[in-house]
Amino acid sequence: MAASISGYTFSSVCYHSANSNSDHEGFLLGEVRQEETVSISDTQISTAELLQVVEIHNHDPCAQLFSFYDYAGKVSEENLNSILKDRRKNVIGWYRFRRNTQQQMSFREQIIHKQLTQLLGVPDLVFLLFSFISTANSSTHALEYVLFRPNRRYNQRITLTIPNLGNTSQQEYKVSSVPNTSLNYAKVIKEHGAEFFDKDGVMKDIRTIFQVYSALQDKVQAVCAEVEQSERVKEKIQEDVNKLKQQIALRKRKTEEEERKLCEAQNADSHSTPEENTEPSEASLLSRITFHTPSAPERSRIMFHTPSAPERPSTSPNPPSYADLLTQDDSLPSSSSSPPTSAALLPRPQAVGSPGHPTPGPLGMGLGLGLSLGLSASSNPVTTPSTPYLGNGDGSSSDSLDRQAAGQEDDDDDDDDDEDEDSSEYENLVSEATHLPMVTASVLAQGRPAALSPDGDARGSQTT
Amino acid sequence: MSPEVALHRISPELRPLLCSVVRNGRVGLDSTNCLRVTDLKTGCTSLTPGPCCDRFKLHIPYAGETLKWDIIFNARYPELPPDFIFGEDAEFLPEPSELPHLVQWDAGNPECLLQLVKELIQQYHHYQCQRLRESSRLLFEYDSLLEDPDYGHNMEIYAGRKNSWTGEFSARFLLKLPVDFSNIPVYLLKDTALDPGEDVALLSVSFEDAEATQVFPKLYLSPSIEHALGGSSALHIPAFPSGGCLIDYVPQVCQLLTNKVQYVIQGYHKRREYIAAFLSHFGMGVVEYDAEGFTKLTLLLMWKDFCFLVHVDLPLYFPRDQPTLTFQSVYHFTNSGQLYSQVQKSYPYSPRWDGNEMAKRAKNPFK
Repeated sequence: MAASISGYTFSSVCYHSANSNSDHEGFLLGEVRQEETVSISDTQISTAELLQVVEIHNHDPCAQLFSFYDYAGKVSEENLNSILKDRRKNVIGWYRFRRNTQQQMSFREQIIHKQLTQLLGVPDLVFLLFSFISTANSSTHALEYVLFRPNRRYNQRITLTIPNLGNTSQQEYKVSSVPNTSLNYAKVIKEHGAEFFDKDGVMKDIRTIFQVYSALQDKVQAVCAEVEQSERVKEKIQEDVNKLKQQIALRKRKTEEEERKLCEAQNADSHSTPEENTEPSEASLLSRITFHTPSAPERSRIMFHTPSAPERPSTSPNPPSYADLLTQDDSLPSSSSSPPTSAALLPRPQAVGSPGHPTPGPLGMGLGLGLSLGLSASSNPVTTPSTPYLGNGDGSSSDSLDRQAAGQEDDDDDDDDDEDEDSSEYENLVSEATHLPMVTASVLAQGRPAALSPDGDARGSQTT
Repeated sequence: MSPEVALHRISPELRPLLCSVVRNGRVGLDSTNCLRVTDLKTGCTSLTPGPCCDRFKLHIPYAGETLKWDIIFNARYPELPPDFIFGEDAEFLPEPSELPHLVQWDAGNPECLLQLVKELIQQYHHYQCQRLRESSRLLFEYDSLLEDPDYGHNMEIYAGRKNSWTGEFSARFLLKLPVDFSNIPVYLLKDTALDPGEDVALLSVSFEDAEATQVFPKLYLSPSIEHALGGSSALHIPAFPSGGCLIDYVPQVCQLLTNKVQYVIQGYHKRREYIAAFLSHFGMGVVEYDAEGFTKLTLLLMWKDFCFLVHVDLPLYFPRDQPTLTFQSVYHFTNSGQLYSQVQKSYPYSPRWDGNEMAKRAKNPFK
């Protein structure tokens, strides 16, 4: 059996006792609980140890001696109740303080203890004995305390621990399990607790931090998905590009041959007008790689397609950036403000992931283009300069830029979501942009841009 | 601690109670000494000006042991009854209803504490008798003694602690022997310096084991009796017979003691008779004689113009023991400056002669 008493209760008992000019007594309030320790080791089967722990929370001093018993030591239940009132059920023991006496229960104490055990119905009622010993010349005073459980036959003395009373220079300050039963304390905590705790009793900070964590996790996952998607798209487009290259090469060869033939023929006749080959190809190219963005009602679910692949330039020596081409007018749907990721919709504490990342420049291919367009278009609220296209022109991506752009776009999107300054326009753009991923193939298939000028004008109306 | 010191240091309100204890307190069979008080301490704060002691240790003789009980008052509340700690007898828990002076404690009655202590001792005695039940042999001893009216009510039992190693049980019986000392001549009892108190003879029988194989009896006499009977060496009680029991042994000892006392009394009378006879025979020659104890007689006799002194010393156990005659010359000195004297022990003598006869017969050796 172990017993513990909180430091303030102990000092309160000592204070009352030391200030009394005679013997002093009172009741101990608290609780008794059982602790079961199961220990498992390799050498033995698990053993369970049952430990009874007595915790003393508070004390109730008696105003005078013989207040609840008479000369014969007979306890009066009436007086007991009038002293304890409703604290009676919390009584786990009683204490007595006497100066200059032995650490042994006296005759009357034993008689009273027996009766209290019966009346209070606590089988293991404890008795705390304080004795105060002073030397003859009053130079040294010792306060000794012993906790008895007289109802047992053996091991009647229990050690009483007082947490944090001792040498704490080498130990940490322990938080004891003895609760604070003060009413005032409980009141204050209740009043101000709402600022720290939510309705479930969990600290708010914890929940917020957890939310941030979840958000980050979701973002990462979303990014992964987007990366995968855009990689696929990139692959596909890469294939298309290769095919187109091949076609271009083929056509070139053909035209050259024809030209040669013509030349040869004309050489016989005269010169014919040369054609422009690239443009139609360009046009066709462009016509193919427009995207058709149907309006999408859910903007919240957009998978933000980060153009992990850079804006793919055409194989022409002056590759028009797709962003240029598609950068547009208002009719062009693009997501100006990016909707939040389809991951868990989280409240947006400003502190987390503050916006302010520069919007990336026009990036990405068809899918990403719209978004990037939107981005570039909506870069205003964020007041970041639109970065120009920095691809190296041959279709390869500069990873860092992309990644950064991706992240930035995310943030931007998140941010832009809230900062819908050019609301209507951007919303349209956004809503239409939601289906970007889904319509990749269809876009390519359709070949008719909604409002895309297939010529170089788009380049001109690039970023705002 | 002397009683006066104790009384000086105790709180004034408690003084009367303690006074009756230390001055008049005699508890139990062995009442030669008063109860002793030691370790006076106070229950007030150390800043309280004295005298304010209110708790002390009381030494109580009981069955050959001394019980050391703590008595705890509260000087600030002197009207409240005290509390007790029964020293090593942690299991002794008397029933409060058997302690009327506790239940109706009256702090105004100076005798209250003493009476309460007496009641506690009684309860303690019962408690010890209960403990005898652990040994059937000793219980038998106890019960048999209890039935005898002579001894049953004057018994103190101390059932000792079991020896934790060997599990031995020991007990001590202290019995007051019902011997009548009243006829002992007063002179015999007068020599003790202190107030002798009640004349009592106590027999203490210690059983060192439960089977009564090691039994050690001892006789305690109050000092005056001891002196009257000739000192501690004069009395030898028989050893406890192995296999015997107290109910047989104790009367034996009692009888022995009684006989001795009788003898002493008789001796006194005999001596008186002897002296009286000598006085009548040698009336003019008597120089001096012990008129109280009749132990000495000095005669100045003349034989053929030779004067000499005769000192007659009568022993305690006269007439069993022969008186000693010392002849002393009045003329001559020895080398050491003393009067020449000669002790004569062997002369015809018989204890059966009465005083007159002795006086007559004594003339012969004088010649």
